[in-house]
Amino acid sequence: MKPKNMDKADFITSIFLVIFGLVIFLISIRMPTFRNLGANLYSAPGIVPTMLGLIIFILGMTLFFRSVARKGYKIDYSLNSIKKILIKRPIQRFLIALFLSLSSVFLLGKVDYFLLTGGYIFIFILAYELDIKKSILKQKAKIVFSLAEAILIAGSIALVFRYLFLVRLP
Amino acid sequence: MLQGLTELGQQLLGFLTIRYIFDILWSTQLGIIVGMLPGLTATMGVALMTTLTYKFTTDHAVLILICMYIGAIFGGSRTAILINIPGTPANAATTVDGYPLARQGRAGEAMGIATTGSFLGSLFGMVMLAVFTPIIGNAALNFYSFEYFWLTIFGIIICGTLTAPKDPLKGWIAGFFGLFVATIGMEGMHAYRRFTFGNIDLGGGIALLPAMIGVFGFSEVLITMKQPAIKIVSRKIEKVIPHPREILKYWSTIIRSGFIGTVIGAIPGVGEDIGAWVSYDFAKKASKQPEEYGKGSIEGVLAAETGNNAAVAGAIIPVLSLGIPGSAPAAVLLGAMIIHGIRPGPLLMIEHPDFVIQVVAMFFLATCAMFILGLMLIRVFIKILLIPRQRLMPVIFSLCVIGAYALSSRIFDIWVMAVFGLIGYVMKEMDYPVAPAVLGIILGDLLDKNLRRSLILTKGNIIPLFTRPISFILVLLIVFTIVSRMKFFEQTTSFFKNRLRLLLRGRVH
Repeated sequence: MKPKNMDKADFITSIFLVIFGLVIFLISIRMPTFRNLGANLYSAPGIVPTMLGLIIFILGMTLFFRSVARKGYKIDYSLNSIKKILIKRPIQRFLIALFLSLSSVFLLGKVDYFLLTGGYIFIFILAYELDIKKSILKQKAKIVFSLAEAILIAGSIALVFRYLFLVRLP
Repeated sequence: MLQGLTELGQQLLGFLTIRYIFDILWSTQLGIIVGMLPGLTATMGVALMTTLTYKFTTDHAVLILICMYIGAIFGGSRTAILINIPGTPANAATTVDGYPLARQGRAGEAMGIATTGSFLGSLFGMVMLAVFTPIIGNAALNFYSFEYFWLTIFGIIICGTLTAPKDPLKGWIAGFFGLFVATIGMEGMHAYRRFTFGNIDLGGGIALLPAMIGVFGFSEVLITMKQPAIKIVSRKIEKVIPHPREILKYWSTIIRSGFIGTVIGAIPGVGEDIGAWVSYDFAKKASKQPEEYGKGSIEGVLAAETGNNAAVAGAIIPVLSLGIPGSAPAAVLLGAMIIHGIRPGPLLMIEHPDFVIQVVAMFFLATCAMFILGLMLIRVFIKILLIPRQRLMPVIFSLCVIGAYALSSRIFDIWVMAVFGLIGYVMKEMDYPVAPAVLGIILGDLLDKNLRRSLILTKGNIIPLFTRPISFILVLLIVFTIVSRMKFFEQTTSFFKNRLRLLLRGRVH
């Protein structure tokens, strides 16, 4: 990330950290002390989170003032700027990987493990290798090879974990 | 001394069975492959291997994990030399001179030197591990709650400072965020559920391994897919095995880098990458040919690789003696030891008196395997680098999923892995080091219990927290570490340095 963009990112992060630290602090001081049960006041479960909330708040404030001093608050959040980011090739590559991976996690336990893992690997490879401008028939070899890899890998993982490590697959 | 050597010999003999040798060879080789592949780190390798070995016996599992760890830290030098991308962060310093050597057609020579440096660094670290673990362990028996509390804070601060040298503030934020994550779930004194918001799964807390697999595995998958594809500059490997004279010429660099690597590795959470950079920097300053550094210096490659592999042993010293990891892979190793019923820390020497010497023996065998495999199979395994990332990364993610799930068979752990993968990705993109966060997750429980114990002992009086001798030293170190990174301190020291220089030149009267 460029230094200018980093200052903007720091500005947003600092606001998040300040709120995060405050929330931790407020939740922690409301935690029970168990004195009514005869427990020592200093064994209260909220002591350490209160301290951590305060420290995160202070560090967040430090980051906030620093980013303000570096003019990190000048954020361009127009629709155009977001579009510009989204059409960048690295961002698209990242979003494809993120979408496919999170979808597979979401489907775990709902679809058979072997099918899901095989399907995930197969779609993942094709998402990056398949050229949409070319006809599918011309890319037969790629598809067959990807399918073979997906079946082989998903089968190996399922078999090894199920029968060698005795893990009940999700 | 003689008794120690006899014990080491006995332990080594115990490991010399076909089954153990086979396991040493495959796990070290797998470690080298993991280290070689950009996007796969030593931490990820050790974490995934922990899930694969959790049904093995303790010595078997720890042996495989140590082999994986040493192999991976070494394996990263291959990619650093051939494609200018460190296979693991520990090999970043190797790229500075390794890649220029490859461009000069001396890739084989560079890899041979890197292998020898890694071997010697590991051996040096191993000796330090054998000598210093019992000493530090015995000293740590004098640590009470007060000292452990400050040791935890010191670990977070120093780790944050060293892993984010440009912006230590981000390192500290990452560390305290990790400490907070550790407070989620049921706490140990009253069984009170903190920050669970009624979620039963969160009641058990955030498990270390799924979080680490996410931070070091899933986030790397996302980062690797975002970056452009890599190209190998040189696949021609000629001379690999270096002449002993070439190595002996740099004996002082080897000893210096081994020492620096081990010491840096032993600092909580700092790790092999800093060990390599500091060793490299010292070697450059002490070199007779500093102008060659950055253009393909053999000495530079040797210093970096000796430093990072010595740091592996260094990182294990606090694991065994204090129960505090020196690096991220060492943190996973610590978790694996706990899973297998070993409680690392000052009581380890009492509860399992043979364990430290057993680890030293494992370390020696793994180092030898790394050296032999590293020199023999360079040409064969270099081909692995040709696997396209879009074919490798989904396999890695699938292993991350099953690895996070295997320990407790909970879908919740897979979500923990995914969430921490995203957190890790954001942190890396925004220059927040992830090592302090991981250290925080590990040390959180230690901090929580020891601060509350201290306050109970002193009836809420915080003065003893500062006045006990060891605590006082730790507080001073923490304050110095923080203040030394502040602008006014840097300005004041540079002002006095300039005055002193002028004074020595006789310009100020």
